[in-house]
Amino acid sequence: LEARDGRLVGVAPSENHPVSRGRLCARGWNAHEAPAWGKRLTQPLVRRRGTLVPAAWSEALDEAASSLSKMTSSGRAAGVLGSARATNEENYLAARLARRALHTNRIDSCLRSTWLPFPVRGTFDDVERSDAILVVEGDLVRSHPVAAHAVMLAVKRGAKLVTIGHRRTQVARLAALHLPVAPGGREQALCDLATAERTGDGPLAQAAAWYAGSARASILFAPGSLDSARAAREAAAIARLASTTGHLERAGSALLYLAARGNLRGACEMGIVPDPADGAPAFPAPRNVSAGDARPPVETIIREADALVIVADDPPAILANGPLALATLQAKECLIVLDAFMTPTVEAAHVALPIASFAENDGTTTNLEGRVQRVRAAVPAPGDARPAWEVLVELSTRLGLPSTYRSPKDVLQEIAGVAKDYAAAAAALERDVFGTLLPARRDGFDAGGVPDPKDAEPGPRPDGTTATLALDGIFDWGSDPLFEHSPTLSREHRSRRRLFPRGQVEMNKHDADDIGVRPGWMVRITSVHGEAALPVSVRDDIERGVLLVPYAFRGPVEPVLGGEAEVAVRVEKSS
Amino acid sequence: VRSSLETLSVEVIEARTETARIIEKSRRDEWVARLARRGEVIGPVAGPGGDELFRPLTSPEELLWEFKNPLYPPKQFLLPQVDPIVAIRRSGDGIQLEPIADDRPRILLNIRSCDAKGFAFLRRVHAANPPDEAYLRRAANTTVITLACSTPCPLGFCICCDAGPFLDEGFDIQLTDLGTSLLAEPGSDRGRTLLAEEASLFRPARPEEIRRRFELEREATRRFGPETCHFASAMRRVSTGRVAEALWDKMSDWCVECGGCNFICPTCYCFSVKDRRENGGWLRCRTWDSCQYAAFTLEASGHNPRAAHGERVKRRFFHKVSAQHYVQDGMVGCVGCGRCVKVCMGTTDMPAVVAAIRRGTWNG
Repeated sequence: LEARDGRLVGVAPSENHPVSRGRLCARGWNAHEAPAWGKRLTQPLVRRRGTLVPAAWSEALDEAASSLSKMTSSGRAAGVLGSARATNEENYLAARLARRALHTNRIDSCLRSTWLPFPVRGTFDDVERSDAILVVEGDLVRSHPVAAHAVMLAVKRGAKLVTIGHRRTQVARLAALHLPVAPGGREQALCDLATAERTGDGPLAQAAAWYAGSARASILFAPGSLDSARAAREAAAIARLASTTGHLERAGSALLYLAARGNLRGACEMGIVPDPADGAPAFPAPRNVSAGDARPPVETIIREADALVIVADDPPAILANGPLALATLQAKECLIVLDAFMTPTVEAAHVALPIASFAENDGTTTNLEGRVQRVRAAVPAPGDARPAWEVLVELSTRLGLPSTYRSPKDVLQEIAGVAKDYAAAAAALERDVFGTLLPARRDGFDAGGVPDPKDAEPGPRPDGTTATLALDGIFDWGSDPLFEHSPTLSREHRSRRRLFPRGQVEMNKHDADDIGVRPGWMVRITSVHGEAALPVSVRDDIERGVLLVPYAFRGPVEPVLGGEAEVAVRVEKSS
Repeated sequence: VRSSLETLSVEVIEARTETARIIEKSRRDEWVARLARRGEVIGPVAGPGGDELFRPLTSPEELLWEFKNPLYPPKQFLLPQVDPIVAIRRSGDGIQLEPIADDRPRILLNIRSCDAKGFAFLRRVHAANPPDEAYLRRAANTTVITLACSTPCPLGFCICCDAGPFLDEGFDIQLTDLGTSLLAEPGSDRGRTLLAEEASLFRPARPEEIRRRFELEREATRRFGPETCHFASAMRRVSTGRVAEALWDKMSDWCVECGGCNFICPTCYCFSVKDRRENGGWLRCRTWDSCQYAAFTLEASGHNPRAAHGERVKRRFFHKVSAQHYVQDGMVGCVGCGRCVKVCMGTTDMPAVVAAIRRGTWNG
C-alpha cells in the first residue's frame, strides 16, 4: 500500500513477492480504496433507547463486558464469530475469548463450512509448471485470478487443461477438454473420474489419462455449493484420484483447495471452528475439521446464541438467507460487533467497536497455499479506531481473562506454541519479508476413503419439470465491505443491483427461444417448494436445462430453492 | 542523431563537447545532496524483499546507480493513483470550489529513457486543448534527469518505439555511465542552467568521452532481448479495422481484467473522478482507472457501449497503436519499457498482442 502524508494513495506491486510476482488482480490494484473511501466506523457506539450513540472506549468496553457477563452468568447462551476478513492473531484471540472467557464452543465464521479436510500441497508455481491441470470450477478468473493466471501460463506452455463445471467460463474456454455438468453433478463426475479406466474412450478416460500420465499434474478445487457434506465427498474423490496416480506425494504436483475468502484457512486453523460435542470447551481447539463430522452450520450459532460477539464480519451479506440473518441479529439481546466499516450488522449492534482495517493493522494471514504472510500498517487507523487485537485483549481482560500480550507478535508466539505448523512459520517471519509456507496438510484426512458414486446419482426429475435451478457461486464479492466500499470495484455490482432490483436468472439461449422469452423478459420458475418470477438473462455459456441465479440475487429465488443447493423446476414465460 | 559511429560527424562531436559536462563518480553524492536543496529528489532505491522502487530520497547514498527499472513507474509522481485536484466546501448557501495546486519542485533522478519518453507523451496529451492545469503545473516543476541504458533491460523493446536506450530529447539532463565518471548532456534550458550552476562539480566533456557515449549507445542497441514490437504493420491493420472481431474475442479470454497494464504503463492516463469526504468538505480526486474494467464505460442508464470483453481489448490497442491516435499524440502509446509483459495477469501484453495482430492469429 502506498501512503503519502498519512493518506492511502495507491498500491505498488512487488516484483519479488513469491505469490504475485508483481501481478495484482483488480482487487489488489484497488485495495487502498475501501479503507480510504469507505464508510468507516470511527468511534465506539453504544445503543441507548434504541439508537446507537457515540461513547468513550472505556464506556463501550465496560458496557460490552457487563452485558456479556450478565448473560453468561444467568446461563444464557453466548457465541463468537471470527472472520476470514480478520488476521490470524485476531481470530486466535476471538477463539480464546469464546472458549476461555465465555466458556462456549459456539464459535464459527461465515463460510467456515466450505473449508474442508483436503490434502493441500504445492503452490501456484507448481500449477504454472504442470503438464496437466484439472480445474473444478467456480469461475476462476473472477474468484481466484492468481490461480487463473498460473493456469493460463501453463496452458500457454502446452499443458493439457481439463475443466469441470456447470458454466463454460473463461478458463473453460481455454481448456483442451471441458466436462460440462449440471449443477450438483460435479460429485458424480469426480467419482467417475477417480475410477475411470484410463485406456478407455470418451472424455473422462482422456482426462484421467492426461492427469495420470503427466510428470507434474495439478488440481485446483473450488467449492461448488454450500453443502459441506457434498464438498467433503468431492474432496475425497479428488484425493483418491491424486493418490492412485501418485500425484498426492509427488513434488511439483499441486493440490489446491480454493478457499472462498482471503483468510478462511487461517481463521479455521486458529480454532474458529465449532465443537459439536457438549462438554468443556477445549482450548487450543483442534486445528482441522475432520471428514464427515456433523458440525452445525454458522446459522445455528447465530440463532441459538442470546449474546453474540462478531469480529469483522457481516453475516447478512454472506449467508444464504441474508434477510433472516439480519432479522435474527436485530432480535439479539446482546450483540457486540467489532468492525472497521459501517455494515448492517454494525447497525444492529448494542455495542459497536471501531477497529483498524487491514491497511492500518499488523498481524499475519494464511493464504490458500498455506503461506503465512505478514500484514503491516501503512497508515494510522481513522478516528478512535484501534487494532482489533487490542480490543479483544481488553474485552477478554474485562471478562476475567487477563493476558500479557504487548503486540500481535506476542500473540503469534503463543499460536506457535499450540499449533506446531505455525512455530516454524512464526520463526521464519522474522527474516522472510514475504512469509513462509506451512507444510503440506495431511491431518484430518483419509485418502483411503473411497466415495460411493451411487450416493451421488441424482434421482429422477419430478414430473413436469424441465430444468435445474441453482445458485451460481457461494459468495457475493459485491457485498464484501472491501469491495462494496471501493468506488472502482463496486461500480458493476451496484449497477447490476440497480438494473435488476428483482434479481435475475440466467438461461441458455436455445431454452429461452423454446419458451419464447427475450433478454429482460419475465419468467416464472416453479419447484416443489415454491415459485418466483424474475427477469431472464440469455446466455450462451451455460448448458441447456440449467438455470443459474448469481449468488448476489439469491433472495428472490429462496422460496423456489427451499434451502436446497439445486432443485428441479418448471420454467415458463410469465404473463 | 541516431548516427552510427562511423558517420558521426566532427560537427556533432564538437556540438556535444560544447554543452556536455563530466562529473567524477566520487563527487556524485555531493551533487545529489545539492539537488536536494532545489526540491524533492526522487530516484530508485532498494525496497523490502529486494524490490527496487522510486522513492523520495532520504540521503544521496541510498540512490541506486545500477538497478532494474522498477515495475511501478515514476508516472506516480506526476500522475498519482489518487490525486486530489479540487477542494469542495459549503459556504453559506453555495458551494466553494478551490483548485489544489501542487507546486512542489521535484527532481526525478536516474529514471530510464522509456519513462522520460512517457513523460513527453503525457505532457503533450495534457497540454492539448483544453489544457490540464493540474498536470501541467506539476510537470513544469519537475526536472527530469535520466540515466541512459547502456544495458537494455531483458524485456524492454524501447528501440521499437524510439524511446531508448539513449534519448536525443525529452529530458533536462541525460546521464551516461562512463565507468569512473558520468557524462551529463543537457536537453533543455533548465538542464543547461542546472549544469552551469553546479560548475564546480562538473568539467567540460572531451571529444573521446562523447565518442564513448555513442559507442555505448551502439553497443546497447545490439544487446536487446527477445521482445520486439513491430508497430507499423499492426498500425495499418488496427487503423483500418482489418483485425477480425473473433481475434479480439479470443485474446480477451487470455486477459483477466486486472488493469495492471494500464496502471504501470508510462503512457496510460485515463482516470475516474471520485469525491472523498474530508474535514467537513470534499476532495475531488482524479484516480487511475482501467479501460479493461467492464464498468469503465458503464453509463448511468446501465448501458455499456463496450460490454463485451473483446471490445475493451480492441479499444485499448486502438488507443495505443492506431494511426488516428498516432497523429494526435505524435507517437504510439508505448515506450517499450516491457512492464506490461511483467505485470500482465493473463498473456495479453503489448508485444504479444501486436504480434497477434500482424499474424492474424492468437496462440495464447
